[in-house]
Amino acid sequence: MKPALSVIFFTVSSGAGLGLLVWLLIASLMADHIRMDGATFYKGVVIAALMITAGLLSSTLHLANRKNAIFSLVRVKTSWLSREGLLALILYPLAALHLAALHFGWPHITPFTLWLLVADAIAILYCTGMIYACLRTIPRWNTWMTPAKYVLFGLMSGSVLLPAALSLRPAEVGPIGKPMVAIVLLAVGVVFYIAYLLKHPRAQHTINDALGFKRGNVRLLDVGHSHGTFLTNEFGFVLAREKARMLRWLAIVFGFIVPMLLCYFTQWFWSASFICIAGLLVERWLFFAEAEHVVRLYHGQQRV
Amino acid sequence: MRLGLAIDLDTCVGCHACAVACKEWNGQSLMGGAPDYDAWGKAPSGAWYNRIRHYEIEGDPTYSPYRCGSSSDASEHQPLSKTVNVPMSCMHCEEAHCVTVCPTGASYKRAEDGIVLVDPSRCMGCNYCSWACPYGARELDEDVGVMKKCTLCVDRIYDEQLAVEDRQPACVLACPTHARHFGDYDDPQSKVSLLAESRGKQSMLDDLGYKPTNAYLSPRKPVEIKAELPIRAGLSDKAKAFVNRLIQL
Ligand code: SF4
Ligand code: SF4
Repeated sequence: MKPALSVIFFTVSSGAGLGLLVWLLIASLMADHIRMDGATFYKGVVIAALMITAGLLSSTLHLANRKNAIFSLVRVKTSWLSREGLLALILYPLAALHLAALHFGWPHITPFTLWLLVADAIAILYCTGMIYACLRTIPRWNTWMTPAKYVLFGLMSGSVLLPAALSLRPAEVGPIGKPMVAIVLLAVGVVFYIAYLLKHPRAQHTINDALGFKRGNVRLLDVGHSHGTFLTNEFGFVLAREKARMLRWLAIVFGFIVPMLLCYFTQWFWSASFICIAGLLVERWLFFAEAEHVVRLYHGQQRV
Repeated sequence: MRLGLAIDLDTCVGCHACAVACKEWNGQSLMGGAPDYDAWGKAPSGAWYNRIRHYEIEGDPTYSPYRCGSSSDASEHQPLSKTVNVPMSCMHCEEAHCVTVCPTGASYKRAEDGIVLVDPSRCMGCNYCSWACPYGARELDEDVGVMKKCTLCVDRIYDEQLAVEDRQPACVLACPTHARHFGDYDDPQSKVSLLAESRGKQSMLDDLGYKPTNAYLSPRKPVEIKAELPIRAGLSDKAKAFVNRLIQL
């Protein structure tokens, strides 16, 4: 698949923002314990909101006909893209309600709004994953591991951002303790990512299945067009094996290992966050670049 | 009704006439508009609702009793070989996943005849439906930013101002070898149903579960022509054998 930068940025940025929101809300339940004051909480919320909104805006960049985007919420019954959009739109009034409840001190509704927000954020991550996982045409994505990955990596990058946001609190509060949630999630993340690389579905369909000639060798003689088409542009992306291998290592090292070490041994949480997000951008780029659509069989590829 | 095409892989000669006729009709039609990009330039491209690709099937004795090469060097070591031309357009699938994934409701499948269409006034050009289609039937019209696809010439087949025999998709009318047939698969007596029944159809990624409506009629096994002289051959037999040998030179 063509790795579209706007979508890659959207999934990583919104994912991290949603993760940060989840952890900020949970942290606010134990604000005294971790010494998070109100101002720091709000600063964190602003960062999360900026990341989520920037991502959502960027996702509209790849629409060829943006004026019809208003219709994109009408098929919630069948389309994961609709569901994601709707849940993302619900997030804003819900967050506003929660903040208002905090501000005006309505303690009887904050638990509801808080957990609703947490559930909504995780549901958005899940929907984003399902947008890709529901496509039977792209075997590599068509697995439960895809939504699991989106939820896990979103929460993971958010958990790295949390101590970074906490570090915005006044200096006299003192240093931040070891962010154990982030360290554990980064460890789980790297194990999951490696498991995904080893275990994702692959090569399920052959050119014989595509044309129905079950016996013998089938090969393309002529593809019928002289230059690129929409199909070759959208689905024809080829990634050199060597390059893919190098990028996978980059994603593992920068997405997980380096942030984990930084979180464990240092207080450089902003650097850890940026490096983690950079690594996840590489991971997301690979997610698209390595995925193969079955239409490639009709263009002569032997297996997808 | 379940309207669709039956495409004969035996008789299709891969001339691209159907694709050209499609372009010509849909270029100006109501729902159509299949644009060309850089048509006279160095890298001509564009949106097509129908594309023809050419394949070689090698080593399948069902369809190709002949071996590659001329008869003089045809030996057991030469692979069996057959060329097939495969025109592909929207299959108007029964389980059209392209429709279920569309977030805007622009893609829809008509209940009355099963035709899958895109409403250009709702489509936001997100390309998601094209990802869901296994058969490469959907292409974005970059000029207007809207997804385009085969409409089964919905603007021809019901047009009562046309003569009855002209109320068929443009590709079907254009095909010089009559490899394309149009009809209702819900009617077991329709031409397409009978053809699919008698000829057998290719299963194309059926395990994905889209249940394509269009049928690709399997190539028939060619009749093998024997080049040897019959035992008590008359003059006409000798002449036939001579011609056969000439053909196989
Ligand atoms: S061939 Fe593709 S575009 Fe046509 S109905 Fe099937 S899935 Fe949809
Ligand atoms: S490109 Fe248009 S028709 Fe296709 S899924 Fe998006 S909105 Fe629907």
